[in-house]
Amino acid sequence: MSLSTADRAIKHILKRDKATREVLNKLRAGEGMECSFETVGGQVLWGAEGTYKYAMDLTHEDKVLGTFRYSSEKALLIFDTLKLLFQKEWEKKKIGKEVLGLYREINMIYDLSELISEKIDAESIAKVTLEEASQIIDTTHALFLIYDPEKDTVHQIARLGENPKSQAFIEQQKDVLRALITRGVSAIVPAERIAANPALKHLKTVMYAPLKVKHRTFGMVIIGHEEEVEYTAAELKLLTTISLQSATAIESAHLYQKGLKEVQDREEAIRKIHDVSQKFVPSEFIKSLGKAKITEVFLGDLVEREVTVVFVDIRGFTTISEGLSPTDNFLFVNGFNNRMGPIVRKNGGFIMQYLGDGFMALFTEGSQGALTASVEMHRELQVYNKERALKKRLPVHIGVGMQSGKLIMGITGDNERLDAAIISDTVNTAARIEGLSKHFGTSILLTQECKANLTNPGQFDFRYLGRVQPKGKMKPIDLYECINGDAEDLQNHKLSNLKTFDDAMTLFLDKEFAMAAVTFQQIFKSNIKDQPAKLFLNRAAQLITQEIEDNWKGVETMTTK
Amino acid sequence: MDKKLLIVDDEAHIRMLIEQTLEDLEDEGVELLFADNGADALKIIQEERPNLVFLDVMMPKMNGMEVCQKVKKELNITETYIILLTAKGQEVDRQKGLDMGADKYMTKPFDPDEMLSIAEEILNL
Repeated sequence: MSLSTADRAIKHILKRDKATREVLNKLRAGEGMECSFETVGGQVLWGAEGTYKYAMDLTHEDKVLGTFRYSSEKALLIFDTLKLLFQKEWEKKKIGKEVLGLYREINMIYDLSELISEKIDAESIAKVTLEEASQIIDTTHALFLIYDPEKDTVHQIARLGENPKSQAFIEQQKDVLRALITRGVSAIVPAERIAANPALKHLKTVMYAPLKVKHRTFGMVIIGHEEEVEYTAAELKLLTTISLQSATAIESAHLYQKGLKEVQDREEAIRKIHDVSQKFVPSEFIKSLGKAKITEVFLGDLVEREVTVVFVDIRGFTTISEGLSPTDNFLFVNGFNNRMGPIVRKNGGFIMQYLGDGFMALFTEGSQGALTASVEMHRELQVYNKERALKKRLPVHIGVGMQSGKLIMGITGDNERLDAAIISDTVNTAARIEGLSKHFGTSILLTQECKANLTNPGQFDFRYLGRVQPKGKMKPIDLYECINGDAEDLQNHKLSNLKTFDDAMTLFLDKEFAMAAVTFQQIFKSNIKDQPAKLFLNRAAQLITQEIEDNWKGVETMTTK
Repeated sequence: MDKKLLIVDDEAHIRMLIEQTLEDLEDEGVELLFADNGADALKIIQEERPNLVFLDVMMPKMNGMEVCQKVKKELNITETYIILLTAKGQEVDRQKGLDMGADKYMTKPFDPDEMLSIAEEILNL
């Protein structure tokens, strides 16, 4: 059993403290000063054992600490000194004990704040709070309660000690608990009140403190003991401090989570905006400018690129749309775009602009992908048209024109309104070529530059269609027809007449118009859907009877766009 | 032979706290010694050869690091176990303290229970 503070104090003076002991020993050495001090247990703590005439007890707070034995009244001076020294030492020890108690509390609060600062949810904070509190306040049971004013409910988020009825207690006593929480005070519950409350019958000592943030109380901490341990005002103060700290931590955790959620929502919104903006301005366009995000582009950003521009136009759109309501028209165009877009992307291109009855696509990695996409789009439409035929809808046909060349991509507009823009003669030419495909009756028409740009031209079949001087253009353009987008029978026809067509074209350019006309007619007769053959047949036939200039090179000058 | 434990701190209340924390050891026959500066501590260590020293780092005149270095590196007193005490947040000193020959390192505010059990362990009680 450890010694009491008073026992320790007397032992300290007489045994442990050398300086004090020496002074006392000197006093005792004087004449008539013989004396000794004996503990209650009979141990002589100081002085010599022996027979003394008198004895006097040293008491402290009605408790005998030991007996002072002496033979002459003179020695009472030593007893008085001893009493004085004892009193001082006892006070020192008492203060030391109190200071240590406070130090433990500070330590606990320090630990608690460190522990709860790592937690970001109320449940963990509550659990740590109860565990730490029980380390320093004698506790067998504890409850951490939160009041939800919206649902008007009180619920426990942490608990210490076994009490299977705690939930029932909370429900039955909701009104009392809510009133206590609302009052926001801390108190030690008087023993008779504990005894009178059946819900507290497993406890003999109870106190509680509010969970308060500024002037708002949102819960309480209740702790108790199965035995009568008598909580002190200091312990109540400590519980109040702990609860305050815990409440602040819960509030911060709440704010943190709220903040986190807001940040997440904001990020989500930004991500959505980014995703949507990418659909309006293609990410390939942004990337081509050397930027990662649309937020990084500025007015005046530009880059020159080698690209292939593809114009796709729905043939006879007016005829189709005449039979449709504006809404159905829109749905039709969307349905069409939905089918074409993925083919463009799959082949490394992106849609730069929708043009109502068609679109313009850009391919930045050479023209191979552009031509592959063009062929695939025709094939997709052949499938689509079969579906449409079943629904008794008009077939959809497209014309495709392509050109390769330099192009400037950039951000244009003003401070208030920006747009992705492309400036290039290549675009104009591609648009003209697409227009010419109508004139020639071809499904895919491309220029010499575009054909030269193919990495694997052997994958396709071409027919040379001569030179054309488009309206408003200085230089004539060599044109080729890619036949792989045609319907199967037409494609087969053109394939089997490839050589013949080339021969006819050579005759035509050599001004052998009669021979050329015969050959073209031969081709045309075997399949009257062969529009270019028909066109050249007519032109050759016309030229037979016309005066030809000496420098005639077969260039057809277009007078319309 | 009685065991001796030296408590060194320039702050009186810390000395009192450590004394109070370790008072049970007195009942086990351990003599508690005190010093409020590094120079006195060094003198007591040389004269009394305590088994264990709780040595504060931040002290005027001679700080705990210097005392530790003198005891362990210059005087070669190896049988005295030295525990350096420093304020929390100055853990950077930890390695320096150990390099100076300290046997252990504790931060303030210290946990009284932990301090007592460490002292008991080192003193074989």
